[in-house]
Amino acid sequence: MAGGDLSFSGRARQAWTIAKIDLRRVFFARRGLWVYALALLPAVIFLGHGIDVKTTRERLARRGLTAPALLDSIREGEGVEDLKKRLGEPAAERWSVRTRSVRQGTGNAGTTTHVIEPAVEARFVRLNVIRPAYSGDSAARIYEFEVYGPDDRLNLALHRPATGSIPCSEDQGPDKAVNGSVAGGEADRWCSVDRPRFLQVDLGTARAVTRFVVKHASAAGENEDLDTREFNIQVSTDGKAFTTVETSSGAAFVEERTEYRQVTYFDGRREARLLFVDGTLQNRNIRRLLDFEEDRLIFAGIFQYFYLRLAIFFGCLGMFMYLFHGEMSNRTLHYWFLAPARREVLLAGKYAAGLIASALIFGGGALLAFAAMVWPHDAVEVQAFWNAGGMTHAFWYAAAAALGCVGYGSIFLAVGLYIRNPIIPAAVLLAWEGANGILPHVVQKFSILYYLQSLCPVPAPMEDDAPTLIRLLAAPAAPASRPGAILGLLLLTAFVLWIAGRAVRRMEISYGAET
Amino acid sequence: MTAPAVVFEDVSKFYGEVLGVNRVTLNIPPGITSLVGPNGSGKTTLMNLMTGLIHPDNGRILMRGISPRDPEALMRITGYATQYDTAPRWATGFTFITTGLLLFGYGRTEAEEKAWKALERVALTDAANRKVAGYSKGMRQRVRLAQAIAHDPELLVLDEPLNGLDPLVRAETIDLFRSWAAAGKHVILSSHVLQEVDVISDQVVLIANGTIVAEGRIRGVRDEIDEHPSQFIVRCHRASEVASRLFDEDHITEIRLNDDRMGMLVMTRDREQFARALGRIALDGHRIESVLPADENVDALYEYLIGGE
Repeated sequence: MAGGDLSFSGRARQAWTIAKIDLRRVFFARRGLWVYALALLPAVIFLGHGIDVKTTRERLARRGLTAPALLDSIREGEGVEDLKKRLGEPAAERWSVRTRSVRQGTGNAGTTTHVIEPAVEARFVRLNVIRPAYSGDSAARIYEFEVYGPDDRLNLALHRPATGSIPCSEDQGPDKAVNGSVAGGEADRWCSVDRPRFLQVDLGTARAVTRFVVKHASAAGENEDLDTREFNIQVSTDGKAFTTVETSSGAAFVEERTEYRQVTYFDGRREARLLFVDGTLQNRNIRRLLDFEEDRLIFAGIFQYFYLRLAIFFGCLGMFMYLFHGEMSNRTLHYWFLAPARREVLLAGKYAAGLIASALIFGGGALLAFAAMVWPHDAVEVQAFWNAGGMTHAFWYAAAAALGCVGYGSIFLAVGLYIRNPIIPAAVLLAWEGANGILPHVVQKFSILYYLQSLCPVPAPMEDDAPTLIRLLAAPAAPASRPGAILGLLLLTAFVLWIAGRAVRRMEISYGAET
Repeated sequence: MTAPAVVFEDVSKFYGEVLGVNRVTLNIPPGITSLVGPNGSGKTTLMNLMTGLIHPDNGRILMRGISPRDPEALMRITGYATQYDTAPRWATGFTFITTGLLLFGYGRTEAEEKAWKALERVALTDAANRKVAGYSKGMRQRVRLAQAIAHDPELLVLDEPLNGLDPLVRAETIDLFRSWAAAGKHVILSSHVLQEVDVISDQVVLIANGTIVAEGRIRGVRDEIDEHPSQFIVRCHRASEVASRLFDEDHITEIRLNDDRMGMLVMTRDREQFARALGRIALDGHRIESVLPADENVDALYEYLIGGE
């Protein structure tokens, strides 16, 4: 046996021996733990989903179930009390009250009128702004300040000399409050931030005054919140002693209160979430707690977009590129090269080791995820699914995962023989596989994903209104039949392995420092 | 049919722009052959070429009639103990060698027997079930030797096999080489210290800067070397007494005592007489701890040799 057994079966045995030796390294590599994490992630997601649904169902069913027909009878606009009378105690109920402070409407369009009874003698009239705005803004804004006597026709303040605290800018001086207009924008107002904010008009001689009109910010189209909130009006005959004749404390604020109530009914499968606003049904959301159809679609999506494209891709990258490259950096590759075996046999053995490990890890991961997806569903529904070929679905998912390892494994094994740094080839390959759908049909055949696509039992979900480019990128056209796809994949793999075989024959041991 | 030989025909190997070995032509008959040269002279390159770990850019190599490009045939009759001081992390000495033997197609029992025998030969059975990673340097050296000889090859390539071996194992190993050589096998070993191997070699190949400097039966090469004074570092107790004893010998040209009085540098024209003299001194009760060749400046030796041609 030890004496040069060079038959094909002898070489196959040798490759198998190599595979067995390498399997331990591939399976238990400490740096390979993340491969397991990638493979098990979908299973963990579905398990979490299942546990979540099961506990929710238990919680909702605790207060009794509602008849499905009653659930369907709920209509928007219904009152909460009526509904409760009709359907009984809900499975869950939550409510919250939101209050907010709103300014009571004045309806005066920014103009306030202040009547003084009886009329007073005044030569100087002064407007003191105490709180300039509802918004908290610190600038007083008065577009017009009008003063009327008992005859009530003539604005005594019009074009009279006006003074005041320092204006915001030169063109917003006190004279703008007595110029008889509000239409000229910000340049047509008196504005002041200086404290105390006041505006004073000299009427020329002492006159009887009985009415004041103040035009605030919103009278000229500014925001209502900028209207003067608190102010008072004083009069004087000598410009020294002033008497307060009017105090305005502004509009009041009121609390606005909205009651939100979320009431949940449960009929054993469907959950109706009802949102009442102030006692009236505003939003009705009835959904199945668990939808087998939907979960299977989600599984198809996760499998194709995450598992095939990313998890298996990067898992194979880590495992297969490491087969030779890892031993080169550990300086142990020469032991293999010094074995009485053809380099191609060594390649085959190592590929077999990587393939067995990755196919078991990712095929098993796919099956586990599938089981976790099926687990929380209704036994009857699941039984029906098994009867309608569910087993074949599970099989093809596992097969697609394993064949993914066959294809990606060969590619990364070959790449690892030519290139040491995995980042660049990984990026190029990922782009290549990703762009596959928009390439010419002949070129598409040089992509692993092209073949894997058609092995999946359920097409990946895709929004109907997705743009064509996205559609092509995400779901390229697949070969028609499964046998065709498998054959194509195996041919592509054989071609890649042939290239790898040539590379490994030429490979030299180079650990860096040679002496 | 002529005796199977290791043949290099005009072999060159470049590492990029850097020369590895240049136009090497060799014909090595069975027996013990030493490749001797300073570090970086191309010894390991030659050995890697012999075993197919690297491939020549030019020329042809035949190992007992087999090309190194055919590892399936060549490695069945070849054992190579490299200088790469590594072993798989999982391996114990025993599993390491057993695993290697499985690749030869031996059954597990047979492989384990052969592995055990190989470990016995390098006196490593005590550590057989410990992880190689935990071995001392000398032990790792020996386990690599054991791995190279486990399948009883006809052609042994050993890169610095005597490095790190203690004197007892060293003597036993040399005996092993001799017995293989007597059985018509090739034992090709490398060393950067000529004095270390010239006694045991049937043939010496001197190599410097990737080129063969001298090649021949050991006598011819050794006579050239013997004219060149050799230096030794002797570590011993009562160094001054030992030194005065040595000074009585004709062949000693110079002795320099170390400051610590525990050793000296000795220059001699005749190393065999020097060795005998040391033996006599030791028999008289002086403790000689070690004797090391001190011709660290090997280049000087080669210059001397090349110049003497």
